[in-house]
Amino acid sequence: MSHSESTRAAAFQSGRAWWTKAVDLTATVLLWAYFTLGFAVFFGPFYLVAAVFAPDRRRAFQWLNHLFYRGFFLLCRLMMPRQHWCIDPSVRNLRSSVIVCNHVSYIDSILLVSLFARHTTIVKNRLFRFPFLNWVMMGAGYLPSASEGRMAALMVERLESLPAFLSGGGNLIVFPEGTRSRTGAIGPLNSGAFKIAKMGRAPLAVCRVRNTDRLFRPGRFLFNTCQANRITVDLLACWTPDYNSEQFSLKKVIERVRMLLEEDSGKKKV
Amino acid sequence: MTRDEICSRILAIFSEKFEIDNPGLDDDLREEHEFDSIDAIELLREIEVMLDSQLTQEEKKSAMTIRTINDIVAYVIDMAAVRA
Repeated sequence: MSHSESTRAAAFQSGRAWWTKAVDLTATVLLWAYFTLGFAVFFGPFYLVAAVFAPDRRRAFQWLNHLFYRGFFLLCRLMMPRQHWCIDPSVRNLRSSVIVCNHVSYIDSILLVSLFARHTTIVKNRLFRFPFLNWVMMGAGYLPSASEGRMAALMVERLESLPAFLSGGGNLIVFPEGTRSRTGAIGPLNSGAFKIAKMGRAPLAVCRVRNTDRLFRPGRFLFNTCQANRITVDLLACWTPDYNSEQFSLKKVIERVRMLLEEDSGKKKV
Repeated sequence: MTRDEICSRILAIFSEKFEIDNPGLDDDLREEHEFDSIDAIELLREIEVMLDSQLTQEEKKSAMTIRTINDIVAYVIDMAAVRA
């Protein structure tokens, strides 16, 4: 390659990188605008109405959260044509289940919330400190991840109501690794989700989410919108363990879930 | 029920319900046996059966700070005394 050709190629690459960043920045700003202004203008009034008039406030808040995040992903689909979204239809059909899923990006939780009108989830305690977010999550009946201090009474009340919520058709969404995996390998699984499933005699649904970390990389502010990507959510298994059997073992259930997630990830545990 | 009877009943519950066999009476259950608030809720149900009485929300909340088998035994004795 001649000097002038390599200069042109470098200029082209530089221009393309600049353009990609501009697109990523625009999409990110628009998504944040949806999160803030969009929420206040389009959804805020409905939350207020639900808070005052809904006969079942939790259910109404869950439905509104579900709609809000559906809107978020609709925007993603519109603005990011290189992102392909493949959601296993059997995931959408899950009811009355404890859904356990691997965790690779912040958007995993809102992606799953966008799939289920009746849902609850376990949220890190620190998120309950944000005034408005706290109101929305409390209203929707989400559970705090720890049970100490002022969260103790809330945790007791929420856990006790979970079996009825599950048997009434709601899903509990849990990321049993507790934190995002940076490598895709499955981290140690906390037992909480499985104990709740046992407490509610609920089916366990094991889901696998892929490539959300390519769209929204841990540690980055901008969405990575221009790179071709295929985001999938698959149902790996769904079954009701024989909780009443003398042979029932929570450890074996957790091990089975771990094996399912590891087989699918193709990576060894960390 | 005597203290020893309560203790052996609690240990039986730990073995049957939580797959925790023969924990030390002063073991930190959270640190050493991964006993968490979800287990605590299930344990409180069993304690209600033992006491043949419902616990109040305030009593349940106070149980969330329990750490050891000895703490649990003391809690059951306290709850039984309140109901005597």
